[in-house]
Amino acid sequence: MEKRKISFPHFGSYYIPIRHLMIRGLEIDYVTPPPMTKKTLELGGKYSPDYVCAPFKIHLGCYIEAIEKGADTLIQVDGVCRLGYYGELHEQILRDLGYDVVFVNLARARNRRIRGFYEEFKKISPNLSLKKFSTALLTSIDMVESIDQIEDYLRKNIGFEQQEGSFDRLYEDYLQALSLVESRKEAKYVTSNYIKRFKEIPVNKPLKPLRVGVVGEYYSIMDGFSNHQIEREMAKMGIVVDRYLNVSNSLFHYPVKKMREYIKGYSSYDIGATGTMTLNRALKFAKRGYDGIIHVKSFGCTPEIDAMPVLQNISKDYKIPILYFSFDSQTAEAGILTRLEAFYDMMVMRKEGKA
Amino acid sequence: MNKAYLGIDIGSISTKGVIIDRNNKILASGYLWTEGNPVQAVKRLLVSLKDQLDHSQYQIVGVGTTGSARKLIGVITDAVEVKNEITAHAIGTTSQYPQVRTIFEIGGQDSKIILVENGIVVDYAMNTLCAAGTGSFLSSQAARLGVAVEDFGPIALTSKHPTPIAARCTVFAESDLVHKAQIGHSKEDIIAGLCNAVVTNYLNNVGKGKRIAAPIVFQGGVSKNVGVKKAFEAATGHQVIVDANGHLTGALGVAIMVKRKGVERPFSFELAQEDFTTRGRECSGCANNCEVICVYRGNKLIDAWGNKCEKGAVKVG
Amino acid sequence: MKIGIPRAFLYYRYSSLWETFLETLNVDYVVSRETDKAILKQGTIRAIDEACLSSKVYLGHVDALLGKCDAVMVPRIANFGKGNILCTKFSALYDIVDNTFRDNGLQLVGYNMDPIKSGGELAAFLDFGKKLGKKKPESFYAYTLAKQAERIDRQETLRQHEESLRKPGIKLLIVGHCYNIHDKYIGRPVLDYLATQGVTPVLADDADRRKALESAAALTETMPWIFNREQMGAIEMYRDKVDGIVLLSTFPCGPDSLANETVIRRVKDTPILNLLLDGQEGNAGVETRLESFIDIIRFRREAAYGEA
Repeated sequence: MEKRKISFPHFGSYYIPIRHLMIRGLEIDYVTPPPMTKKTLELGGKYSPDYVCAPFKIHLGCYIEAIEKGADTLIQVDGVCRLGYYGELHEQILRDLGYDVVFVNLARARNRRIRGFYEEFKKISPNLSLKKFSTALLTSIDMVESIDQIEDYLRKNIGFEQQEGSFDRLYEDYLQALSLVESRKEAKYVTSNYIKRFKEIPVNKPLKPLRVGVVGEYYSIMDGFSNHQIEREMAKMGIVVDRYLNVSNSLFHYPVKKMREYIKGYSSYDIGATGTMTLNRALKFAKRGYDGIIHVKSFGCTPEIDAMPVLQNISKDYKIPILYFSFDSQTAEAGILTRLEAFYDMMVMRKEGKA
Repeated sequence: MNKAYLGIDIGSISTKGVIIDRNNKILASGYLWTEGNPVQAVKRLLVSLKDQLDHSQYQIVGVGTTGSARKLIGVITDAVEVKNEITAHAIGTTSQYPQVRTIFEIGGQDSKIILVENGIVVDYAMNTLCAAGTGSFLSSQAARLGVAVEDFGPIALTSKHPTPIAARCTVFAESDLVHKAQIGHSKEDIIAGLCNAVVTNYLNNVGKGKRIAAPIVFQGGVSKNVGVKKAFEAATGHQVIVDANGHLTGALGVAIMVKRKGVERPFSFELAQEDFTTRGRECSGCANNCEVICVYRGNKLIDAWGNKCEKGAVKVG
Repeated sequence: MKIGIPRAFLYYRYSSLWETFLETLNVDYVVSRETDKAILKQGTIRAIDEACLSSKVYLGHVDALLGKCDAVMVPRIANFGKGNILCTKFSALYDIVDNTFRDNGLQLVGYNMDPIKSGGELAAFLDFGKKLGKKKPESFYAYTLAKQAERIDRQETLRQHEESLRKPGIKLLIVGHCYNIHDKYIGRPVLDYLATQGVTPVLADDADRRKALESAAALTETMPWIFNREQMGAIEMYRDKVDGIVLLSTFPCGPDSLANETVIRRVKDTPILNLLLDGQEGNAGVETRLESFIDIIRFRREAAYGEA
């Protein structure tokens, strides 16, 4: 069997660890989808059902572009919201379009745990070695943690760089270095080396800068293309942008019991998907006196819509403004910037008013 | 010579301008249609403002722009302040109504709510998805009914039984409107129904979860519609203030911000005689096909924007 | 204590279970009136704008119960066990109602059904009984009676369902969530209209659930939501026995947005009408679409008989 060329939709910078896992763990080739553009949205939107959430459409667009770039195998994950059914419908739509690809749908392994995953992967990598796979998996996890750690620092500091572009340039370097990582040791080295270098970039941070917390839906919040880079835009105005939700915090260390306990006064049960994390962080940002919260989701995202009545109460109780964004594939950029600017102005005025 | 400040608000439908003195007193004002050409509209505006100002007493020391074409006009007028319309409206309104707690605004494409405490904006929201319930929605429905949109308000007031209309989405609303007209609802009831629908839609979308306190100021193009004003009063149980000069609020706000900023830059009305052109070109660097806007004074490129990445960057100067 | 039950969402699945349980325990209760325009209006005011129509209706019913009871019953139902989850709306419902009506000082009671994380239905009802101040044996007895009532109710539904399948003339399979189909303001007008056209509606939700779940495997492999799987199973069972299928959804239902697309792409031999309701005034459009769909089916039948 010829080596398969697999692809997974874009998701922030996580394509690097995903690629590593595929190449080293499954010993197959990886096709990084072309950078997402307006065309990706158009393609995805054209073949998706009308009122499905935006990430579904974006993923479909990525798949089509990846196939055009040479991918013959696609992979989709399982999830606790609509994501849990993405794979089956994506595969059906691609088949109807006439694409002859192997589609690995991890939702099929839902009730079979590790064994199920193993069987799914075996289909595309007949000589699958569990040892190689687990080694690559551990390295990939380290890479994910690395990205999350670096980006967290970036969000909190990029708005205060003395020389415009210094963070962006180093971040590009960092992604290149991370792409070359082959082992856990190398991953650790790259992380500590770049953390150090990022910290060396001179910043002009005031004693009490404006702080904004970001909460919301898993994909739209973490994928800059999907949210029109609002975190970046916000940070660049000279704001500390704080976001807890990322892949490592949700998959590898998610203290769900503690987080639920913290929001007991607002929520009695888990409201589904990332809802608990959204509420927990929003309350924490509020209690810590942040200047504002941004809530990000794709249009119609049920778990995040259901978090909103609670967010509204938190906003009232702690007098913290919340800016709500709901993205679909046709959201106009100008409107987003206007809203962000106005939010910024409001925070500045509130702060001056308090002082 | 006294210092004066010019604020210009260039929206998709109308262009507004005010000149104020140090005490926020309006020395000159103008209001005209944008007609799809913001540069031309601003030139006409400047001609009108120039005639109103006492040039022996006042010298404009700074310009501010707001509204959807704020960036373009900001470049052309060498503005010291280029501000989004939400902030500009908030500042403008609080300068005139220091006690205001809630600002409703419904314009051509956008609607927003701004909550104010002690003269400070504490919360705001804007419409999320579509133009349903905004000015352009009312205009298109007016055209469908064969009524001038300016007459909507007075006609609505004559209705005794406003027809319930679905207004969450323009498409739904239109088919519903046709249906209601066909089954025999009178025109005034349908028009009153539309006014109610705009308000219901606004309160359910933009105003959701917001504590609406009085005094309430209602502005934007739709505020001229007494039918909508009355529907707001019925729905909120408070009196709603509509300022006769409400359309100037954004321009006033940004003029005040120029004054507060303290940065001064010479300005001359001769600008109206200069030749400005804008050219849009599609960048072919990638499939985003960003539309890059280039602004020229005479033949000289003075600014360009619209590109998402370096590939589409245009060198200025 | 008087309990208020919103006539919305899973009331349409559990009415006999809930009512018998409360009656046996001698707990007084009131069910909100049928959905009307005022209820929808109140729900729309209360709900987040982007939320689905069905959840707006639900909040309207809670609103209608204000002042009419001491506590409103809002169960939290996350799943029916592994691999059988519900839309997250049902996990969140308790907290949605609690937060939306916080300033009304509304009391809530209910049970938490989450077999993946805690116990099954019996445990949930014993806990529910405890919250109502009842002892375990009492609650146990009430639960067994309630289950019995539920079973009898279901048998009767099934009998009528099979009768509808035997009726002559045009039969349409109506696929939709029970709370949409039976709601007086959402789905009932559709059923009533079909009746005026001499069409027999066959409700997918009335099919034998166990058989439906088994049949669903032929149409979908990974459908996570059990209600949608039941409906897809019913489609598989009846696609040859009906003249057409109406997919009735409310805007913007998450599970239906995907499930309907799969059905449309995989069921090619039977005409399908995808009917999206948004609860606004424009029923005229719905009737037009139903009428033309029925016309198409009539033409098809005539053509088929003509050939024969």
